[in-house]
Amino acid sequence: MTAPADTLFEEVLAAASASAHDGEGGEVYERRGAALELVEDEHSLHASVSTERGFAVRLFRSGRTSFAASGAASARSLPAEARLLLSRSRSRRGARPAPAVAGAAPPEFLAPPVRPDEVAARGLLVAFRRALAAASDGAVLLGEAALTLGARTERVATTGGRDVSFGSASATLVATVSARTGAGRASARVVAAAARPEELGLARLAHHAVDRVLLPLKGRPLDPGRWDLLLDPLVAASIVARLAPAFFGEEEDGFLAARTRDGRDALAAPALTLVDDASAPGGPARTTHDAEGTLQGRTVVLERGRLATRLTDVAAAQRLGTGATGNAFRRAFSEPPAIGVTNFFADPSSGVPPLDLLRSLARGFYAAVLLSRPQVDLAADRFRLHAAGYWVEKGRATEAVSETLLSGRLSELLRGIEAVGDDLKFIPAAGGGAGSPTLFVPKWKG
Amino acid sequence: MLNDAVTVFREDAEDAVRIVSGMLRRGEGGEAFRERRRAIAWSATEAGLQSPAIVEESGTAVRVTRGKDSLLVACDGDGPEALRAVVREASRRAGGSPFFKTKAAPPRRVDTGPSGPDEEGRATLIASALARALPDPRGLSMTLAIARVTVSRAVVTARGLVPCGEATRLEVTGVLRRTGATRSFAFQSSAPFASACDALARALAEATRPVPAHRAPEGRVDVVLSPEAASVFWHEAVGHPLEAEGGERTSVLTRVARASVAPPGYFVTSDPTRRELPGSYLADDEGTPARPVPLLEDGRVAGVLTDRRTAGAETNGHGRCGDFRRPPRPRLSALTVSGGRASRDELLDACGGGLYVREISAGHIDPESGRFSLFVESADLVRRGRLSAAVAPFVLTSDVLTALRNLWGEAGEVSAPASGLGLCVKRGEPLPVGGASPAILLRGLSAVPGRP
Repeated sequence: MTAPADTLFEEVLAAASASAHDGEGGEVYERRGAALELVEDEHSLHASVSTERGFAVRLFRSGRTSFAASGAASARSLPAEARLLLSRSRSRRGARPAPAVAGAAPPEFLAPPVRPDEVAARGLLVAFRRALAAASDGAVLLGEAALTLGARTERVATTGGRDVSFGSASATLVATVSARTGAGRASARVVAAAARPEELGLARLAHHAVDRVLLPLKGRPLDPGRWDLLLDPLVAASIVARLAPAFFGEEEDGFLAARTRDGRDALAAPALTLVDDASAPGGPARTTHDAEGTLQGRTVVLERGRLATRLTDVAAAQRLGTGATGNAFRRAFSEPPAIGVTNFFADPSSGVPPLDLLRSLARGFYAAVLLSRPQVDLAADRFRLHAAGYWVEKGRATEAVSETLLSGRLSELLRGIEAVGDDLKFIPAAGGGAGSPTLFVPKWKG
Repeated sequence: MLNDAVTVFREDAEDAVRIVSGMLRRGEGGEAFRERRRAIAWSATEAGLQSPAIVEESGTAVRVTRGKDSLLVACDGDGPEALRAVVREASRRAGGSPFFKTKAAPPRRVDTGPSGPDEEGRATLIASALARALPDPRGLSMTLAIARVTVSRAVVTARGLVPCGEATRLEVTGVLRRTGATRSFAFQSSAPFASACDALARALAEATRPVPAHRAPEGRVDVVLSPEAASVFWHEAVGHPLEAEGGERTSVLTRVARASVAPPGYFVTSDPTRRELPGSYLADDEGTPARPVPLLEDGRVAGVLTDRRTAGAETNGHGRCGDFRRPPRPRLSALTVSGGRASRDELLDACGGGLYVREISAGHIDPESGRFSLFVESADLVRRGRLSAAVAPFVLTSDVLTALRNLWGEAGEVSAPASGLGLCVKRGEPLPVGGASPAILLRGLSAVPGRP
């Protein structure tokens, strides 16, 4: 709605820089977004289109920080509002405006994002409905499918000389599916997220949806015991997602310190390498800069089971005495940045085809889907998964398993991983994505 | 000031009504929706309040329905220009061109800053609540987001402007860590600020108690739910299955409409008019006046919660949206349950051996199958009708029809508000909800040890 070359950002930045001579630093952030959501059920189609333009200001003085955010209409008053709050903040080491990014030319203006393609979106919904029908032979009904396509452009400038702009896009499909058999009824929501609509993996989501509602309605429950364990990538990814906060530079590192004797021991088996990579193929995030404007790259946090480094924003990097890894994350323009993940995943580069892993199961359980929210407590070193899948003998699935509980010490599970697959898949997690290939844990007792 | 937000919405009401009326064509229904949200927030750790933040967001949406299909167009800003922009876009998508013959809109008032003495005082009250809750924070690490959030909403129909109301609440979410355990923490209160801070101090003190080493019994167990825990049970087991969605027979309770599913004497109502409870409003987000809707009457399934999409003109005023960018859906407000005649001791006596649940931190239900899970953070063993040792966190599961059938016939005497019942997240869309329930006795739930 606003002319692209308006000077609002510069005005806010000038106001945020007004007290720079008194040792005050400032950061101005602008986000422009466009989103399209199509929600389709048996009877109706709902379309939502929205645009947003929001500003946020952070001020820094002697380790104190304050934050103010609003839409464009009130943006000019943000520096004054933040300045009034600054004196009430508590000082913390490392809080300061981000420095200039080498080689980055200041953007002339922040272009509004390209609006998502509605025709393509409708085509995706049709394609998913067909994929679900094909995957289930009509046994699974689609209650509702919601497809959201988003695009945004962002700009960050600081009194430290940083001034960068960047853009990104996202696609999310959420489907509510249900099934009725002689054994009962079940419904579930399944989600796929990608950086581009064409990367959503509709056929894979359809198969996952079918397993999620049909497996609990057939087969038998499996009692805990000692057997080989094979975790489907989407099941394993849910554990990887819960591990991520342990590697945030902001967090207390009690879990890592306790489980690795302050880094002397390995946290996991050598088969496991954990990586955060904003440009990982197939990942839901595909960005060039983080929410503070830091360039992003590939960060290995766990190398062959051993702690390598932490994920940081500017302040955490300052405290740790390292370079920022580009992991500042804003859920919305109205929230201050915090450390988060982009695409956080178990590296499949040393992996083998998942069928080879399946063949190596002498007698075990293949966990295909989660039936409820995974429970992972880093401090207590415990996990519990409520899963359904297949009983496998001599590398062949012999029986469906309607439900079982997998639980135990998280550190034992991580150290028990003997091999990983080469089939990396992602789930949405905390603004980015968490991913894993198939994981093989022999002789798990749970 | 925000207190005047609805007044501000009224300033161009006449023009806004004309614009909305002109947008709608024959056979179409629809309305405009205006929202303003303001939050003063603090990050907090075990060391006290850390960084302050102030956030103000406003937005406008128009919604147009034709037959079964609908369109929502939204943008930032809650003034006349924003309304014109969304109406222009909605009309463009419908192949028309809007006609904006309006009077000159009065200049919008500019809000003044947030940092007056009131905010100073509120920050002091929060800091004091944290200090009282954590007199000795050694061994504890916590990360909390504390916010005083005020939301004002209004709907503009072709006939007039309908204020949905203005709600202010104290919201706290975060994570608490002690050696050997991590737990999430959520709290909200719509009470006056000082009372809300007192309640926060009590809830935080309770949540930071060391985790008991005693494990909960596994398998079938009889459970007395405290009033606060019972509110979460009713919310999951009766509230969600009676939100009208996707046909009449898709949930375990809509399939047995009018059937007797609980003992006589139980009355469960979704009541958005209870102003002291979170989740209340004057009108829903489609402009339908709020009214109590009975869900269980004397143990029988009595009704479902509807919006315009599911009930047309017969909506009972439960169309709610997370924010202006989202379409309204049938959602719970504040779920109230009638009190009975049993004292807590009588409930414990009737339980005999089992568990007394003080706090449920989260719940989940599959409305289709009726299976539900309640994540218990704080509970005590019940032995021979008396409270015994505290037990470690565990999960309670069952299915709705079995749980309601095994509900003890007499509920507790006092229907008390639940402060721990916070934001309800459905389809990723959070909404404040409230509840007030007496203590209840449920027989034959399944307990699974372990923390969510």
